[in-house]
Amino acid sequence: MIRGWIGTGLWLLCLSQLALGGETFDEQLRIRPLQDGRLYTHFTFKTLLENASPRLPNMINTEDEPQHYTLFPLALGQIIREYAVTELHLSLNAGKWNYGSWGYPDDPNVGTGAELWVWMGEGEEGSFDARWQGLRNALAGLFCASLGELDDRRTTTPTVAFQPDGDLPKGTPHRLIYAFHPSENVCTENLTPFIKLLPCKSRSGIASLLNPHRLFDADWHGLSVRVLWKADQGVEVTLGVQAVFDPMRLKGESKRDWSFSRIFEKTINNACPVARQSDIILDLPASENYSISHPTDLLEPSMVYDVNTIDKPLDLSLSFEENHFTYPDTPLSETPLAIMRSQAGTSQTKGHLHVAFTNSLEEPQRVAYLEMPPWIIKPYLHTLTITVNDDPARRNDLIEHLTYIPTKDERPTLFEPILILPPQSTVHLSFDFDKTFLRYTQHPPDAHRGWDIPPAVLIPLSSNTSTIPTLPRMYSNNILVDLPTPDFSMPYNVIIMTCTLLAMFFGNIFNLLTREVVAINIVGSDYQ
Amino acid sequence: MLARILRRNPGGDPNASAVRKHRMRQKLSARIYNGLPWIRLLLFLIGYTWLLLLPSQYLGTAEWRVDENALQPGQTATQYNWAEVHAADRYLDRVEELYHRNASSSERADAIKFMFLEQGIPAATQSYTFTSGLRPSHGVNTYAVLSAPRSSGTEAMVIAASWESLNGSPNLRGISFILSLTGFVKKYSLWSKDVVFVISDGHMEGMQAWLGAYHGKFQSNVDYEPLNLRSGVIWTALAIDYPGHSFSHMGIFYEGLNGRLPNEDLLRSFNIISNHVAGAPVVVYDHLDEHIGSFIPSWIPDSIRNKPETRDYAIRARNILRHLKYQTLGRASGIHGLFHQFRIDSITIFAVPATGPHGFHSLGRIVESTMRTMNNLLERLHASFFFFIWKDPNNVLKIGEFLPSAVLVGVALMFGGLRLWVDAGWVEVADISSEKSNDSGSKSTSWKTRVRNVIPPLAIMVTTHVLGAVAFWLANSKWWIQLPTTATSYLPILPFSLITFGCLSALLAFDPLNRPKRNLQISPSPLYLLLKSFTLCLTSTVISVTSVLNFSLAAFIAVTLAIPLSIATPTKSLTFKMVKVMAYHIVLLPLWWILFFRPMSQSILEWQVLGVWYAPFMCIVYLPLVLQAMVVCMLDPEFVYA
Repeated sequence: MIRGWIGTGLWLLCLSQLALGGETFDEQLRIRPLQDGRLYTHFTFKTLLENASPRLPNMINTEDEPQHYTLFPLALGQIIREYAVTELHLSLNAGKWNYGSWGYPDDPNVGTGAELWVWMGEGEEGSFDARWQGLRNALAGLFCASLGELDDRRTTTPTVAFQPDGDLPKGTPHRLIYAFHPSENVCTENLTPFIKLLPCKSRSGIASLLNPHRLFDADWHGLSVRVLWKADQGVEVTLGVQAVFDPMRLKGESKRDWSFSRIFEKTINNACPVARQSDIILDLPASENYSISHPTDLLEPSMVYDVNTIDKPLDLSLSFEENHFTYPDTPLSETPLAIMRSQAGTSQTKGHLHVAFTNSLEEPQRVAYLEMPPWIIKPYLHTLTITVNDDPARRNDLIEHLTYIPTKDERPTLFEPILILPPQSTVHLSFDFDKTFLRYTQHPPDAHRGWDIPPAVLIPLSSNTSTIPTLPRMYSNNILVDLPTPDFSMPYNVIIMTCTLLAMFFGNIFNLLTREVVAINIVGSDYQ
Repeated sequence: MLARILRRNPGGDPNASAVRKHRMRQKLSARIYNGLPWIRLLLFLIGYTWLLLLPSQYLGTAEWRVDENALQPGQTATQYNWAEVHAADRYLDRVEELYHRNASSSERADAIKFMFLEQGIPAATQSYTFTSGLRPSHGVNTYAVLSAPRSSGTEAMVIAASWESLNGSPNLRGISFILSLTGFVKKYSLWSKDVVFVISDGHMEGMQAWLGAYHGKFQSNVDYEPLNLRSGVIWTALAIDYPGHSFSHMGIFYEGLNGRLPNEDLLRSFNIISNHVAGAPVVVYDHLDEHIGSFIPSWIPDSIRNKPETRDYAIRARNILRHLKYQTLGRASGIHGLFHQFRIDSITIFAVPATGPHGFHSLGRIVESTMRTMNNLLERLHASFFFFIWKDPNNVLKIGEFLPSAVLVGVALMFGGLRLWVDAGWVEVADISSEKSNDSGSKSTSWKTRVRNVIPPLAIMVTTHVLGAVAFWLANSKWWIQLPTTATSYLPILPFSLITFGCLSALLAFDPLNRPKRNLQISPSPLYLLLKSFTLCLTSTVISVTSVLNFSLAAFIAVTLAIPLSIATPTKSLTFKMVKVMAYHIVLLPLWWILFFRPMSQSILEWQVLGVWYAPFMCIVYLPLVLQAMVVCMLDPEFVYA
């Protein structure tokens, strides 16, 4: 009886929280067919803690005010309060985002690997670094990812890139800290804790489509967490899942028709009851004949479905009226800017890095380029060469500004020039680098495939003269660098070699030490 | 210390054992010194016999072990099926149509690029021009990069086919097979590495241009377009050569440029896969056992000829000889050989033309399984399985089983050189001045040291090597190339020997008798002894050092130079001198050319286009060594540079 009363009481408490409107939860799924026959899906789960404000670092030693969450993810909220984080961006991605064929993603954080960037207030001396260390370890524990590896060897503070998306509290100086771990992959063990942060888990709403078997088979997939503070709204947590599926690979035929049950092997059976908004937005393919399972009266180019009201189970599908998909016969370039990074040279001691930026717009673009090579490669700034198109003339005048912090104490180098990309042209930037000769204990203990270099970032900057809005940032491909590596699989030979040398030296020295040296006078010797 | 020694040795008797020991040591070294010719002969015999025994069944072990655990060859269920075979046949129709209407390089490349693009795989073309003096060539490569789903694209494997096959005919089926493979590979998400498909123009040049552009290698005589599509670091590559209609066996070509070899694990894996997955037996090169009859010389009596042991020996000897030929010449046996310079392990698989029973279906399953094996790699193939001779598909010679043969010959040469060095330092003179008597009776002669003047022989050696470099420079120069073929074929022996003999006659014109002699009690050692000693030591060093870089080249030097250099002796008679020099001239200098039926221009072209070291090595190392032996023969036995 008493338990019943308590249960009712708790329910009332929950309802009162909802009624107060302290927290809201919105979810959205955006689906977009891509030019090369693939399908882009983007899940966003947005929780807003209304009128909340981030904890200030100077209050870190005083006890925090109690936090009561109903929809807001508690585990994440505690971490953010504990380490006084104002803005946080975490993404875990697998695959190479193909800007040429897929265009810009809705969430620009698509670098291959684990990326974490945070804006935090400066506190007492040493507090910033301690909080950064605590934060990455806490996130590593929460998401089962090797984020603890994002130590000083992978951490930098860019000057132009990664400006805050939300607001920063006034009065407290804030600083950016950025880290990238290119060898980190994303898999089920990351998705499970991720789904746990959602109010409806994956039992209802659009999150019920998140089937790990399908999601992690997608050509490209990534998870992201974004925490922002908006001064007029509150603290907002956005959990995102992006994936690019290839319906033709899944079906094993040359038609790109898709449906929820085919792509995710799931359908939406219930709506998430606490979701204020639960929308599915379908961007319609342009100028093609197709049929949709759930046509609506809405105007093109997108259809919007409200999961809360639509008939369930929902198995949205789209089929094209074609016998087989015809691939475009020219390479696609869906983005006005393009970046291609490559390394040259096969020597194990030095190399050459080459980056090609293509601007296909009619006006010059002002961009920042962020390169953070880890300490194992040492770029030479004097070899920096910039040329345009096929003209061999050096065009170092295209650099408007250059931030360069050389590597020290195993910290990464920071190379962040601001470039002007002339219209309708390709700018080639290149420099030479040396590869470090590692001590044997510095080599990782596993199979030795080489060292991943994190992707470079291209950040288009706004300019007053430009007529187009500022473009999203782009990530280049990762690079694998071969360092001089001993053959670790040959300890047996090494032991034999060492023993032989030791025996030889020991034998000789022992012989010399114990031998009796005598002078003999030999009569009638041939040698005189 | 000294006091201690003196205290210990107060008089005659306690020394007796030490003296005896000393005497024994002296006797032993005298015996070794006197027996040195026999020891050298023995070493020569063992070395040469070892070389002859390389094809024997008693050397080497049949092994099916793959060292790299990650490879797991033949452990996958293959999916390549008749639908893909049908696709390959359709592509073959289109590729054949291109061939029959004699389409130009760029037409072909564009058509193939379109065939990649219509399967949804990004593709591009790359044109190149080699401006080498001998034979300028131009062509267009096509390549496509399949980005592996879910991977970061930092690693890649290459599947390649050249337009021209190894046997000179067009590689139409190889190309259509690759086109069918792209669509097939795209259906799976299991690839951990990007797959790069390259259809290179010509035979070698196209692939050299593509690899050069991919790795940013600068080459002065080639003009190539940069690549618009890229992938990551290439670890392994497979070149497919399928010139016939069907095939009976899968042949493997594996030699790379300058004697480089791929990791043995790759060959072993392919051997296992081909036999187990598709039942296509593997052969070395395109050597089929049934053709062995023509390889055994006809003068061998039938009773020996028809023995199975002789047949087995001949089968292996044929494989080893072809391997030695490729490696000595530093030639790549196929386009795969160009990859080795970039630390990429690669082989060419050659579908030996036959009327059956295998075709696209078998090839598809073999290649699919091999790709899965290559895909399994977690790190580069690295264990030291880069030294081997592939005697027959199941029998591989390890480094310890072939290396000593050449090295022993080198050791014999070194012993010869050192003995000559000792000989040059001592002279036996009639003993007049000292009348010392000892226990063994009176002596009429004793050994005296003499001055070894090392500058003149070293100067001669340096001169010959410099002349060799000049000859190479001449052979490499533009105006020489424009001369008629017969002249270029025999180059650079003729001008080279002319120049050298000019220099030598100038050298010999210095009559030592006319010059004031230093007043020495004992005349210095004769020039020929020192020169020969240095030549032998240098040859020995070259053999030993080369043996671990390019065993075949070392064996070639051991076989052709060791004995001729060892028997070079001066004579007094001018006629004999001329006969000897002519003999060296005729036998040794053109030998390396005649032996392999290859005109010099071919080697020079390979040096210019592919960077093969054979031509410079022959000019700068081999020819000077022969010349030094010729100078030894030309010298007067008593000629002394005082």
